[in-house]
Amino acid sequence: MKRSFARSKLLAAVVLVVGGTHASAQDLSIRQDSMGNSAGRHVLPPRDLPPLPEMPSGFIDNDLAAADSSPHAIASYTLDELLCLAAANNPTIRQARLQIGGETAKALQAGLYPNPVLMYVGEKINSDGTAGEFQGFEVQQRFVTAHKLQLSRLKYCQRARVSEHLAVAQQFRVSNDIQRHFYQVLAAMERVNLQSELLKTAEDGSVTSRELYNQGQTNLPGIHRANVELQQRRLALLNAQNEFAEAFRQLTSIVGCTLPMGRVEGSLRPDETIPSFETVYAGLIQDSPEVLAARAKLVADQTTLQRESVQWVPDIVVTGGPGYNFTNNDPVYNAAVQMELPIYDRNQGTILQARRDLQRQQAEIHRVELQLRERLAMAYRMYATALQHATEYERVIIPEREVAYRELLEGYRDNRVDWPDVLHAQGEYFAARLQQVDQFRDVRIQEVMIDGFLLEGGLMAAKGPTPPGHIDAVAKPR
Amino acid sequence: MSQPERRRHFLKAGSIAAAAGLVGNWMRSDAAAQAPARTSHPPVRDEYDGFSRFKPSRGNDPDSDYYLGKMIPGFRSTADGPAPLEAPDLERLPWKMVRGAKEFHLVPMAVEREFLPGYKMNVYGFNGSMPGPTIEVTQGDRVRIVVTNELPEQTTTHWHGFELPVQYDGSETLTQNPIEPGASFVYEFDVHEEGTYFYHSHVPMQEAFGSVGWFIVHPKKVFDPPVDRDFGLIFQNFFIDSNQNIADSWQMDWNWHTINGRSGPYTTPLVVKHGERVRVRIMDFSPMQHHPVHLHGHTFWVTGHEGARIPKSAWVPRNTELIGIAQATDFEFIANNPGDWMFHCHMVHHMMNHMTRQVGPRIRQDSSVDSYLANLASRPAVDAVRTDPGFATPGYPQEMKSMKMPEAMMKTIWNRREVQGMRATWPMSVMGLMTTLRVLPDDLYHRVMETDAEIPPGSIFEEIVNRFGNPADYQPAKMGGMPGMKM
Repeated sequence: MKRSFARSKLLAAVVLVVGGTHASAQDLSIRQDSMGNSAGRHVLPPRDLPPLPEMPSGFIDNDLAAADSSPHAIASYTLDELLCLAAANNPTIRQARLQIGGETAKALQAGLYPNPVLMYVGEKINSDGTAGEFQGFEVQQRFVTAHKLQLSRLKYCQRARVSEHLAVAQQFRVSNDIQRHFYQVLAAMERVNLQSELLKTAEDGSVTSRELYNQGQTNLPGIHRANVELQQRRLALLNAQNEFAEAFRQLTSIVGCTLPMGRVEGSLRPDETIPSFETVYAGLIQDSPEVLAARAKLVADQTTLQRESVQWVPDIVVTGGPGYNFTNNDPVYNAAVQMELPIYDRNQGTILQARRDLQRQQAEIHRVELQLRERLAMAYRMYATALQHATEYERVIIPEREVAYRELLEGYRDNRVDWPDVLHAQGEYFAARLQQVDQFRDVRIQEVMIDGFLLEGGLMAAKGPTPPGHIDAVAKPR
Repeated sequence: MSQPERRRHFLKAGSIAAAAGLVGNWMRSDAAAQAPARTSHPPVRDEYDGFSRFKPSRGNDPDSDYYLGKMIPGFRSTADGPAPLEAPDLERLPWKMVRGAKEFHLVPMAVEREFLPGYKMNVYGFNGSMPGPTIEVTQGDRVRIVVTNELPEQTTTHWHGFELPVQYDGSETLTQNPIEPGASFVYEFDVHEEGTYFYHSHVPMQEAFGSVGWFIVHPKKVFDPPVDRDFGLIFQNFFIDSNQNIADSWQMDWNWHTINGRSGPYTTPLVVKHGERVRVRIMDFSPMQHHPVHLHGHTFWVTGHEGARIPKSAWVPRNTELIGIAQATDFEFIANNPGDWMFHCHMVHHMMNHMTRQVGPRIRQDSSVDSYLANLASRPAVDAVRTDPGFATPGYPQEMKSMKMPEAMMKTIWNRREVQGMRATWPMSVMGLMTTLRVLPDDLYHRVMETDAEIPPGSIFEEIVNRFGNPADYQPAKMGGMPGMKM
């Protein structure tokens, strides 16, 4: 019985969380007592009537129970607050920023001029028993030709720009996920409300079946069926509560910090519709961070090709320095100039690889555009279907269900309709509203996706500017 | 001298005067034969062989002509001709004599009929009425009935029970081509019958939709004993779905019941004077249901069916008469028991309309449909406590917990002279296939039916109790106590 009572409190918890229809579910345990044990007087012959099923028990979501224990402390969050929190706490946004920093660092490194080499040189040691013909210091300096360092730096700067676009994409991924889960939570709250209404209808159905039984208009199987429907409704409410908890926890995961369970404030109904498919697609092609990153990467790859194309141009290495010739006992100097002769290795393989990378990136841009179209097609279809349904549910189906319910209520008031018919219409009305919640939720989610460049994955590691197997397999940035 | 006594004294004096007149006429037999006093009333008495026309009684001898009022005459003289038929809530179809025939114009059409105040139902009828207007002729008349079809479909009209030339029988396609929408057909025949007849569409679905009307043939020789009142009541059933107002003639079940197109308590009572001889013709035009019709407070003689008047030797005294589909029965009785008497089909489910299961807020304490209507978005939590001790009894509630009667509905029901002075709660019990017989002393009849005097609810009934009952045991109806009606 303790568990049952605790479960009933749990059942009330999310109702408290979302506000509104608290009374029905919370009073259930009281009414159950009343039906089974009404002050020593049997309402109906107890030997005949199966009791109402006990409240579902066996598992308690402690967070929901905790929210129930301190209903006054229930927090509420707006979408803007959550986005601000995510901006500060989501790790992938930081990762994305660090990606930019990494590329910038590479650009710094790749453009650094080669250090001079200081050498102590001892040549021909023991010549004529002397210390050598040359003992002294030399300095060697490589003179980089063909603007290799500038090109390398430019290349990594351009990759840093790619990372900037990818960081924007990551922000959209996080923002989109926050919004998607926000609407999931919002919808889950409304679902809990409506499941509470449907539970009240099932409770009424159970009472009605007992009334029918008392008048010989149903039998014990009818009571059992009503009990089953009641318990299924209770489970449906618990399911809605669990969905709420899941959605809220997913939301806070994307935010990146732990938040006490609470309600969110907003509207599931969209303010305006999105433009046509082709208009949206044109916007995607023009502004999608993924496309922009791909295009920036193409520029970087062009620089890479340019950079690799000059790689064969030999650098000039000049070496020289003063020393002492112990055989002649006079100060001497060494000087050397060296350069590589590109007879065999003219970097032709890497140039070819860079060219292929460049061509691959050109195809990559096309691929990204086509993939966006493919993803947009699905998102647009889901958006259109959900909006069509939500609109018609809003415009026709819900009002019709409501009118039918009202007319049956009025018919019942005028003694022209059986109460079970009213209950049926009531259930259909609430069920239609429940479906509408899902439709508006789907509209909002797809709206977010379409407005947010179809990006999702707010907890996926931020991407770098180069795909695996790229020319950057070279150890030294260049 | 009390009112009944004064009335009886007056009638007694009138009888003596009439008897004196007869003696005088006998003395002048030639003159009497040539100029009968058609307006003089035959002698009527308060009592015949122990049967009193003014108080419940049987008489002294079952073999007497006057046993149970069998041959007790009404106040009306046979010389005044038959009493005109009174079909409450129905009109009489006018006629003109054209080329030696009484010419009637009958128009089958879709009509709206207000079964109860505010409950306007779509049915078929004639000349804007369901049932159609009453055709009333005299035996021996030649009739011409021009039927103009204003229905959107074909129809024919059958003259139920008449022995007429076959081409005018109105059997669709068997005896005539159907009357097309907008077209007319002329039925013309001599009426040699007398008695209770009716006309109806011969398209079955149209019949089930209400297409029927009285065709009363008064005898050339007025039936003896003469009646003061001749009422006609057509009983019908319809199926009309919840929150619907179009009858469904396809149904095999029936949930609305009408007498002359109205359901109780909107049926109009038969109001008669104390001591009158009354004939009630009842015809069952229900699609599938017979009706055991029961009259309270009186024993009536079954004097005829739709085929013909029954020889007196075969008259049967009854309280309840089973009337089958398409059958008519004539009752006659002396209204010797003042009061408001139920007159109804005794089938339990015909004593209410559109029955619904008695579950839900209606039978729950502190629960009202209005609270549901106040906010459709969130329904009230159910109260499962049910402290009503009645639920300790299996079967509770059997009393139909019923609809509220809006003020406008009550006003319409009460706004008829025929119901003035009845008990304040009478509409709660007169439902479905029910009406009432009001037997009123002369002065009360005059006050109710022949004046515009304001008559408080219950006042006439209480006066009858005071005069004829036991006032000490009478409890007036609770004023304002009209929680609902069973419909």
